[in-house]
Amino acid sequence: MKGIIDVLQLQIERERVKPIVQPIDYTQHNSTFYGARYIFECGYKLNMQPLTIATAATIFHRFFKKAELSSYDVYLIAATSLYIAGKTKDDAVKIRDVINVANNTLHRGSPPLDLNDEYWSMRDAIVQAELLLMRMVRFEVTHVHPHKYLLHFYKSLQGWLSPSDWRETPLIEAAYAFLQDFHHSSVVLYHKPQHIAVACLNLAMQVYGIQVPCTDETERTWYSVFVNDLLNETLWEIMESIMDVYSKK
Amino acid sequence: MEEYLRKYEKIDFLGEGQFATVYKARDVDTDTVVAVKKIKVGTAADAKDGINRTALREIKLLQELHHENIIGLIDVFGYKSNISLVFDFMDTDLEVIVKDTSIVLVPGHIKAYILMTLQGLEYLHMNWILHRDLKPNNLLINSQGILKIGDFGLAKVYGSPSRINTHQVVTRWYRCPELLFGAKLYGVGVDMWAIGCILAELLLRVPFLPGDSDLDQLSRIFQALGTPTEQTWPGVTSLKEYIQYKPFPGTPLNHIFTAAGDDLLDLIAGLLAYDPSKRVTCTQALKMPYFSNKPAPTPGPSLPLPYAIQNNQKPSLKRKLGDLPDGATQPKRLLF
Repeated sequence: MKGIIDVLQLQIERERVKPIVQPIDYTQHNSTFYGARYIFECGYKLNMQPLTIATAATIFHRFFKKAELSSYDVYLIAATSLYIAGKTKDDAVKIRDVINVANNTLHRGSPPLDLNDEYWSMRDAIVQAELLLMRMVRFEVTHVHPHKYLLHFYKSLQGWLSPSDWRETPLIEAAYAFLQDFHHSSVVLYHKPQHIAVACLNLAMQVYGIQVPCTDETERTWYSVFVNDLLNETLWEIMESIMDVYSKK
Repeated sequence: MEEYLRKYEKIDFLGEGQFATVYKARDVDTDTVVAVKKIKVGTAADAKDGINRTALREIKLLQELHHENIIGLIDVFGYKSNISLVFDFMDTDLEVIVKDTSIVLVPGHIKAYILMTLQGLEYLHMNWILHRDLKPNNLLINSQGILKIGDFGLAKVYGSPSRINTHQVVTRWYRCPELLFGAKLYGVGVDMWAIGCILAELLLRVPFLPGDSDLDQLSRIFQALGTPTEQTWPGVTSLKEYIQYKPFPGTPLNHIFTAAGDDLLDLIAGLLAYDPSKRVTCTQALKMPYFSNKPAPTPGPSLPLPYAIQNNQKPSLKRKLGDLPDGATQPKRLLF
């Protein structure tokens, strides 16, 4: 169990270090993109594992695949997704922490809630939404994430790439960042995890201008040893979807 | 959601646990008998924190697992604020069989039960899951004599060295010494020890090590198997809650299990090895001579069942038995 997160201390800390990027005012937005953005921000503040946060984002997108955006509060569903993900990934967070972090992220600068009616109604809302979410995703909460494939493919490339490329480019950092950011889009649900992992690595290599020795882009691709069912067009489609995430901002 | 109320027709109330109520029901669409486990929401802690974590764990793991000797999760549905899990219907469990004094367990029966348990458990371990609550009560048996491992409320994915686990798992009588000494990093050994205790219980027909406290549990283990030392179990003294015990010499296994052959004693010794790294794994155990030696494991349909179940399942037999003046001696005859 994690200790109670001191929201006030976090706020003081944040005021001391002036942020370069202005925090997002989520109340001005209502889209699944900002819902996912909110999941990552809250999950990070709750000290959750990256994979747990990715699970939360996946649950969130699966919910809105079926549900009408206007019928539900995006941020309630987002907070509940985090809470469920914590439970299913054995990375549990206390419901009170979820409420405090979720509330403070939505209404910046507000103090932690007292144990008043407002708090209890929020708690009630999350518990109710949890059941609804679970039903909407048909109780299927095990997801195969691209993360493990990404790691595996990357490790396998170690002996294949030229040593200087391997040493001097932050390939995995970039690929991992692409993967994480891709979870802002529901397109992440529509491709095989293996394919997404390849796309993230390939995009990172494109960015740094790295070529895997003895391969080309169409005939002898580097990823054909890892996946045998990835078409070149699909790969480019996924890479474009990843880049689309950045143009949404 | 009302569709579920129609789909599952309640037949009987089966039992009530800490977290759930279990009903026997009929799946109207397929006309099969199932067990419906309705998770309680009434308890204070649950209502506050939402979906019961034990139930969620069970759902998550069982949706992924499919093996003849693992309980099958057929369906999950929510109605109002309840969650219900639909399982294969199982007629009885190993605890009932062990306690039923009218049932005679011959060596072939015991071999069959342990074989099915190990096969199910091997599959679990191959998928990096620890059951962590193996006991006769959780080894369910249906009328075809198929044993399935049930109750995954404590099961957990293992193998990540960074994950600290709690040592407060496994019902005490089946808890291994490293857990009793407070180990937080452990592996398949915790399940293997429990299998050892279950096998012993099948032979003795009473719980092998029925400790009434954690300390008493350790002292019973040491009285039976001897007190471990740094020589017999390297590293034991550095476990978090290690306590020095009076050195017991231990009893030779062939004095405890007088009717067991050498191949069976080897298996027991392997399962109840002190050093968790030396304790046999499922795969190793299944390759031991015990399972290839005679007698062969009894086929499922010939395995004994409690009198009441035999009665319900086979109406023709019931009529025949009804003609006899003294039914009490019958179950023994049903063995052959």
